[in-house]
Amino acid sequence: MTATRVSIVLGPGVAEIAGAPPLVYRDVDLLGRADRADRRFSLTIGPGEVVAAIGDEDSGIEQLGGLALGLEPPATGAVEAFGVPIALLPYYDLLAFRRRLGYLPTGDGLLQNLSLKDNVALPVRFATDHRLREVEARVAQLIDDFRLRSIQTLRPAQANEEDRRRAAMARAVALNPKLVVLELPFVGLTSRAATDLLDKVSRGDDGTRRAVLLTSRDLTPSVRGLVTRIVRVVDGAAAEDKSGGGRPEVRESGWR
Amino acid sequence: MFGGLARFVVRAVRAAARLTRAGRWVMLRVLINQIRFTALQAIGLVAFLAAILAFLVISQSIRQLGRFGAVDNLGTIMVVAVIRELGPLLTALIVVSRSGTAIAAEMATNRVMGEVTALEAMGIDPYIYLVLPRMLGAIVSVATLMVLFDATALVSGYVAAATSGMALSRYMAIVLKTLSAKDVWLTLVKGVFFGASVAIFCSYHGLAVKAGPTEIPQAVTRGVVATIVAIFVLSAVFVVIAT
Repeated sequence: MTATRVSIVLGPGVAEIAGAPPLVYRDVDLLGRADRADRRFSLTIGPGEVVAAIGDEDSGIEQLGGLALGLEPPATGAVEAFGVPIALLPYYDLLAFRRRLGYLPTGDGLLQNLSLKDNVALPVRFATDHRLREVEARVAQLIDDFRLRSIQTLRPAQANEEDRRRAAMARAVALNPKLVVLELPFVGLTSRAATDLLDKVSRGDDGTRRAVLLTSRDLTPSVRGLVTRIVRVVDGAAAEDKSGGGRPEVRESGWR
Repeated sequence: MFGGLARFVVRAVRAAARLTRAGRWVMLRVLINQIRFTALQAIGLVAFLAAILAFLVISQSIRQLGRFGAVDNLGTIMVVAVIRELGPLLTALIVVSRSGTAIAAEMATNRVMGEVTALEAMGIDPYIYLVLPRMLGAIVSVATLMVLFDATALVSGYVAAATSGMALSRYMAIVLKTLSAKDVWLTLVKGVFFGASVAIFCSYHGLAVKAGPTEIPQAVTRGVVATIVAIFVLSAVFVVIAT
């Protein structure tokens, strides 16, 4: 049975700048070292690019998600999402703008008192003005896409790590964002599950590629196969990984 | 603290205007749950304590007033002491101890577990999902429980009076002589203010947690103490306004 896909319509908000790359970090201090101008992080993620930022615990990759979502302002430099300096937006504009971005926080960030289904439904229910019927159709679609049907009524604590991550990823793409930021998304997952999830998350509802920034300690070869570019973060600064990603056709798209 | 609290209240009220269509249904569900926990599950306790309080007050009053031939003043004691002052106060204290603690602990846990940040990252105002339904739920619950408290106290007061040989008609006449419409609306207004205080203070202190799980019990204590102080201060303010 093929159901009609529900198109997500977001309300008005701060307009993104046409043609601007989905995410730009410019000379950002990730480690709170104002005196070390040589340890600044810069990265541009183009449309459809899947970029992995890998680094150790003290590398500064933990800050990338919060900075991208405007959850914390950069101490130096700037972070722009679709050309908008996100951390500078007023609070309600910031909330509205974040609906264009998908986010998987470290751990998963699922609400413990809600079922997995209700967690997935949360952004569609509260961040759009769709009718209840449309919301339910969209949620059903996500539940099926991320294979959550049989466990949708479980609370996060009752589900295993992979199922929780599936639900959190379904929630991250619930509003069909053009950019998704994933913080340590594959910790505790098998290589197969990680590949499957990254493949799902990196495709938009219309089949086109989404821009994805994922942070990780390391990547398995199968996940590397889906990544356009790998950036190794060392001591708060970026260095292109020599091994690169597995999708050179996108790497040559002109975005750096 | 007061500046932060004022901003908190303004944000919670403003959140109501930002509810989406589907969000209204979800909020209604959370609201109904909150009323179930705060009001429905507290009915037994509130009724029991109201009955005991009224029985004690009226039994003692009849005995003492009878010695001076002033039994007709029983209505004043029932209405002024029990219905107007002790009823709302005790009801609010019951709700603080049952639901205020739960609200503060839940909010603090939401904050510590990163759920508040997750909501904000999804573009959802946490005040819409977390604070607003609890505030409305607490207001409805406290106001309803106060009415229940007063009704139970009136019945229990009669039982106490009857054991001292007073007829129902006389008891009713004495109480109704003192009871006015002002007492009814004052009870409801107190319910709104006391209920809002429970939700606002407990949510505020719960969401103010920053460091980690060890702060949760401290937040609960702060929330409950602040609510109790606020309720007593509001009671005093209402006495001044009403007189």
